Amino acid sequence: VSLLKQDKQQKTVGKTRAVRTFLFPALVLITYGILFAIMPGKTSIALKSSGSIFLKILMPLGLVFVVMLVLNLFLKPAQIVKFLGSGAGIKGTVLSATAGIISAGPIYAWYPLLKDLRQKGAANSFPAIFLGNRAVKPFLLPVMISYFGWIYVVVLTVFTILGSIVVGYLVGALVKVKDVLPSHHSSAGE
Amino acid sequence: MKIAISADGADLNARVAQRFGTSKYLVVIDLDSGDFEAVPNPAASGQRGAGMQAVVLAISKDVKAVLTGYCGPAAQNQLTSNGIEVISGLSGTVEELVERYKKGVLQKQAETEAEHGAKGRRIDRVILLHAAKSSARQFASLLPILISVVLLIGLFNAFVSKEFLASVFSGNPVLDTLWGACFGSILAGNPINSYVIGGELLKYGVSLFAVTALIITWVTVGLVQLPAEIAALGGKFALVRNAVSFVLFIAVAILTVVVFNLITG
Repeated sequence: VSLLKQDKQQKTVGKTRAVRTFLFPALVLITYGILFAIMPGKTSIALKSSGSIFLKILMPLGLVFVVMLVLNLFLKPAQIVKFLGSGAGIKGTVLSATAGIISAGPIYAWYPLLKDLRQKGAANSFPAIFLGNRAVKPFLLPVMISYFGWIYVVVLTVFTILGSIVVGYLVGALVKVKDVLPSHHSSAGE
Repeated sequence: MKIAISADGADLNARVAQRFGTSKYLVVIDLDSGDFEAVPNPAASGQRGAGMQAVVLAISKDVKAVLTGYCGPAAQNQLTSNGIEVISGLSGTVEELVERYKKGVLQKQAETEAEHGAKGRRIDRVILLHAAKSSARQFASLLPILISVVLLIGLFNAFVSKEFLASVFSGNPVLDTLWGACFGSILAGNPINSYVIGGELLKYGVSLFAVTALIITWVTVGLVQLPAEIAALGGKFALVRNAVSFVLFIAVAILTVVVFNLITG
């Protein structure tokens, strides 16, 4: 019964996500349609302006695909996951940060895993470090560098990683493991 | 030593499941003590990434071998790279397989198959294909929103005046950074969108402080995802993490720009 319930929940989440993905593009297209009817001149300028932005990011986007492919071939998030729960101190910090950096896909896919880790007793700082480091996206670096230059990207990346670790330790200090026991309890029925 | 068998049922008489990723249970057996545990597979309904969830489950149970009917190449690759032996192409009940494994029959069968090098080469090609497919899927999934954002920036360029932006971003670094962080915390989605928006905002003369705050908080603070984060990790954790991140990453944004300016002069 619980598997059926979980299946149903996952299907609902999938549908909501699909609606969310296409709602925004649909709204933008409708806006274009309306504006084109009212002010065709200005809307054409808007389209041209969008076109030039596309041209600018086309090359970096191609590189994004290549980097994605290489990462998918050689990185194994599951391998990191194996150690995440057991790691402590510096080892746990480095592993959580690395897992956050190489984790791909929408955050919703990773919540169940973090929940599981938490229930196995991983310190609160590790999920926080993981979530913070998701801001570092190796495969998106080509686009970032094309806009801001590599010096900025290096400085930002280093500070984001360090900042995420500090946030992780602060959260670990402020939220004790006992604070999350209710969430453990409620999840048991799923 | 523990082994896991993908099974259709939760006991030793259950039949081995045809597919590892979507089997109903993983029956974990301790060969030394004879104890067993049937763990429901959270991915049994066969949603995307089912194989990977079953892999994580097997790894977390610390098993040394996985016995199954069929295991996809990507899952097999993950399991073997974690030191877990995978023996597939099996049928029968869990109990029968345990006996055959204890006698070493299954291991011999696996070794013979491994000696046929052609199989290994085929798997390499399959892994490459799988990586290409999942990259294409990842890439395609970011395109609808990215294209829409670029179209929206086009509208913004054509219809919104620089004076309007100047009224929001006044040029005061502290206030601008705060505004950038607020926008970044509310907006969400793939960070590539924040780079494009940030890059275009710079052209309008918005300060790098504000743009940096927007980019960092886009991912690290998530008001849209807050309900999901609360459900998964607890209310106190989610609220404290987002609040601490908001404050600290504003500081990180300021520090980043200061250091960047020092380096580039």
